[in-house]
Amino acid sequence: MKRWNIYTPEGVQDILFDSCRQKRILEGKLRDIFRLNGYREIETPTIEFYDTFGGERGLIKQESMYKFCDSKGRLLVLRPDLTVPVARIAATKLKDDILPIKCSYIGNTFSFDEIGGGKQNEFTQAGCELLGANTPEADAEVVIMAIESILATGLENFKIDIGQVGFFKGLMEESGLTEEQMEEVREFIDEKNLVGVEHVMDKHRVRGSLKKIILDLPKLFGSKEIIQSIDYRDIGDTATKALQNIKTVFEILEEQNLDKYVSVDLGMVQSLNYYTGIVFRGYTYGVGFPILSGGRYDGLVSKFGRDCEATGFSLGINMVMMALERQRIAINGEEKGVFISYHENARKLASNYRRELISKGISAELDIMQKGLEEAKKYASQKGFLKFICFNKDGSKEEEML
Amino acid sequence: MRYITFALSKGRLTELSIKLLEGAGIDCTELKGKSRKLILTDEKNKIRFFLAKPGDVPVYVEYGAADIGIVGKDTLLEEGRDLYEVLDLGFAKCKMCVAGPKELQGKMDSISINRVATKYPEIARRYFRHKRRESVEIIKLNGSIELAPLVGLSEVIVDLVETGRTLKENGLEILDTISDISARMVVNRVSMKMENQRITNIIDSIRKQL
Repeated sequence: MKRWNIYTPEGVQDILFDSCRQKRILEGKLRDIFRLNGYREIETPTIEFYDTFGGERGLIKQESMYKFCDSKGRLLVLRPDLTVPVARIAATKLKDDILPIKCSYIGNTFSFDEIGGGKQNEFTQAGCELLGANTPEADAEVVIMAIESILATGLENFKIDIGQVGFFKGLMEESGLTEEQMEEVREFIDEKNLVGVEHVMDKHRVRGSLKKIILDLPKLFGSKEIIQSIDYRDIGDTATKALQNIKTVFEILEEQNLDKYVSVDLGMVQSLNYYTGIVFRGYTYGVGFPILSGGRYDGLVSKFGRDCEATGFSLGINMVMMALERQRIAINGEEKGVFISYHENARKLASNYRRELISKGISAELDIMQKGLEEAKKYASQKGFLKFICFNKDGSKEEEML
Repeated sequence: MRYITFALSKGRLTELSIKLLEGAGIDCTELKGKSRKLILTDEKNKIRFFLAKPGDVPVYVEYGAADIGIVGKDTLLEEGRDLYEVLDLGFAKCKMCVAGPKELQGKMDSISINRVATKYPEIARRYFRHKRRESVEIIKLNGSIELAPLVGLSEVIVDLVETGRTLKENGLEILDTISDISARMVVNRVSMKMENQRITNIIDSIRKQL
């Protein structure tokens, strides 16, 4: 049975010449930015044990992972994420390294229906992780890295939307709600459903001043002025600290004149089991999904046996490419160079000439088909070569721009 | 200025949606006409509209093909898309219910249910999994759901109930209410941030009419 032999599975794609070249150029730009800023690149395995990502209080839903077994019957997965492997490494191979540790990666991840890839099941992520630092300066550095990375891709109209999950968590601690009720509130705040939040607050009789702030949460998003205007008292230590933290981060961004790229959303409360502080997402025109997401995840590394604060972000390369295309921003790739045709008596000349061009960094190809001048010229112009060169029987050379 | 795109549900929600938009100062003349154009515009406010099957509206909005959608809560619950649900528009009210023969009334906790017929398989599956912690066989039907328990296809059904008349005439009763349903306004998560000011204005001027 070969019913599926000519197809690719759902959610994966072939990336051909021009797109592939553009993707490599993008990756190259990001790699440079990461390296210049001290985020050294690492490469982790494509397959890992299921236990690394899933299990008891697993971070990633088991139904979103590709699973299979190794020769000893242990459950393996195709990595659904690249932050978790970094946390694993930080707690094990790098456990004696002096902190902070900065690393970066560019690699493919695999999962069913994750928004990070615009619903693709295999997509490329490029990201940075900063381990062992929990200052607002560290939080700001990672946001700045995110902004500079997006700028490096050529996108200019984008927003980094910043939240602080500690604020929500703190308010919930104070509210006395059960875990189940908190989850109910979280869902409503996450979907900016004012009526829903109000309904839950009334049902569970949360005290007056606190209730007012929680009801505000779905509305606390927009320009950076919101951050300055917030002045809540009597909200408990956790929430107060969270608010102070995000304020300082915004101050640092303002000092750097990067505040024009950021907005704030204190109602950004997705993935609370993962993030512990600042959270952010990158948005642009032309794609309905975030192109970037990140934040502070202080509890993750300890799952692998080392207490270590951490923060980072990752950029979805496929989404960025879609955004560039929709916004008609060209990625300048190199073009095809020279096509060299020759009479068989001049083969050596032609070969030497090709080598000469290549050594100068000019792309050049030989006519290996030998079907005559007309055919060669037709091929060269269809393939998009810039220049056609022919070595004649007597060794003379003719050039023509295509 | 970019267009803000609305996806409106075709059918019983259409007219009421148009009324709300007009109340918010949006010109819907093209929308009310008999044109066969699929995409209609209000050039002054730079707003575009299209009508789609209700089940497709959350999809258009999630992918950002539409910035804003108007759709029933039943569809939102069934589709489970990642959106902002910013307004309860309050019209097209009804309830999502579990219904069955009246002999089962009050016995929901003691009997074990094997088969459930519904037009909303996801809502039914979630209800039985989370609220009742039961694994049941969900049978997806496309209409006249009330028929299923009468002919022995399933013990109970999960369906929208507006007046309850159809149930009553067929000897069925509401056994449990899953959720209140009404029309909602949803917004794409990226659009809300990239076009914050314009979308917030639209939301506010619609909220004022409710």
